[in-house]
Amino acid sequence: MSVYRAGCVVLLVLLGMVLSDNPAFAQVDFSGEWSPRFYEDEPERVPGPELGDYLGLPINDAARERADTWAASIQSMPEWQCRPHSADYIWRGPSQLRITKEVDPVTRQVTAFHAEWLRSVDNIYYLDGRPHPSANAPHTWGGFATAKWDGDMLTIKATHLKEGYVRRNGVPRSDLATVTEHWMRHGNWLTVVTIVEDPVYLTEPFVRSTDYELDEHQLVAPYPCDVVEEVEQGKNVVPHFLPGTNPSLKDFAAAHNLPEEATRGGRLQCIRNIGRNWLQCLRLGRNKSEIANWKFFHF
Amino acid sequence: MKARWILLVVALAALMSGIQLYAHHSFAATYFEDKQQTVEGDLVQFLFRNPHSFVHVEGKDEKGETIRWAIEWGGGGQLGRQGVTRETLKPGDHVVIVGNPGRNPDDHRLRMLRLKRTSDGWTWGGRPGESFD
Repeated sequence: MSVYRAGCVVLLVLLGMVLSDNPAFAQVDFSGEWSPRFYEDEPERVPGPELGDYLGLPINDAARERADTWAASIQSMPEWQCRPHSADYIWRGPSQLRITKEVDPVTRQVTAFHAEWLRSVDNIYYLDGRPHPSANAPHTWGGFATAKWDGDMLTIKATHLKEGYVRRNGVPRSDLATVTEHWMRHGNWLTVVTIVEDPVYLTEPFVRSTDYELDEHQLVAPYPCDVVEEVEQGKNVVPHFLPGTNPSLKDFAAAHNLPEEATRGGRLQCIRNIGRNWLQCLRLGRNKSEIANWKFFHF
Repeated sequence: MKARWILLVVALAALMSGIQLYAHHSFAATYFEDKQQTVEGDLVQFLFRNPHSFVHVEGKDEKGETIRWAIEWGGGGQLGRQGVTRETLKPGDHVVIVGNPGRNPDDHRLRMLRLKRTSDGWTWGGRPGESFD
C-alpha cells in the first residue's frame, strides 16, 4: 500500500469518527441504574460481618486493637445512627446504585460522574482536570475524587475522606487514607476495583472488586433518616471494650473451625508441615521490627 | 420439605424482584444470631423510621423487674412493602415478641424475628417474606 493510500485510509477513519455519534476517544457511559450482585460476599455485605473476622484484611496492630475494643452498641449513639458509608466502603454495601453524568453544554464532554446509593451522600468524580484541594481542606464521607480515562476504564483518585471502616465490625480506615478506583463496564455489567492505601491502619494496599448489573427498572428510593433514642444508653457512655475484655472475638474462629490466629488479619506467612499436622506462621508488619513471634497451630 | 421449597421460591422471587436491601450495621456483630429470647409487655413507643425501626416494650425480666426493651425492626421502606405502616402498632398494645438478644445486655435490645399482638392476633414474622435485612 502506498503512502498516499494509507493516508487516505487514515483520513477516512478519522472522518468517520467525527461524523459518527460515537466519541472520538474511547469513553464508556457508566450512567444508569445498577443493582448489586453479592456472590460469595453476601454474608459480609448484607447481614454483616461477624465480630473478630479480620480474614483477608492487611491490617496492622493498631487497627486490630481498635477492632478488638469496638462495641457494636456504639452505632446506636445519635452521631452514628444516620452516618453514611464512606466512599470506599459504600461499594460493598447492600443497596442499589445510580450513576449520572454531567455534560458541558458547549463542548458536550462529560465533566463529572455522580454515584449515589440508597444510603450514601452524592459521590462526585470530576473529569474536568481540577486539582485536589489543600490537605487542610475539609474531609467528607464522599471525599474529593478526580477521574481520568484509561482507555475504556475510568480511574479515580479519592482523598479527603473522613475516618471510616474497611469492615463493619470495627476495623477502621483512617482519614489519611487515599482510594483508587477502576470502573470497568462490560455490557450490562459494571466491575469496580477499589484500592485503599492507609498509612495509619493498613500494611499494604487493600484491594477489593465488586460487581453490579444494569437494572433499568430500578428505583433508588428516598432515604430520610431520623435520629432517635434507639436504646437506653446512659449519658456520657461510649460503648467499648477495654483491651482484652471483648468476649466475642474468638467466636468467629470457633464457629467456622479456623485457627484463631488466621482470623486476626495482617500479613501472615505460614509453612504447613503435612506429615506432622501443624502450621507454623509468622505475622509480618510494615517493617522487620514489627515481626511477631512464630506461632504453631495444630489442625 | 414443602415449606423449604416455598421459602426457597420466595427468596428467589425476592432476589429477582430487586427488593431493596440495606443495613447500616452488622446484625452478627450486634446480636447473638444463634439465640432467641421472648419478651412480653406493653408497647410504649413505635419508631417507624430509617435506617431501622424500633419497637419499645415495657415488660418484666426473669427477676420480675420492669425493663424497657428495644426491639430492632426493618427500615420504614422495607416494612412498608410488607404492609406495616407507622399506624400498625400503637402505645398500649400488648405484644409478645421473639428475637435475637443483643450482645450487650445493658442495651436490653433484640432483633425482631416474630411479633404477635394479643388483642386481635395480628402477627408479623411468620409468613414468607416477613423478615428484614
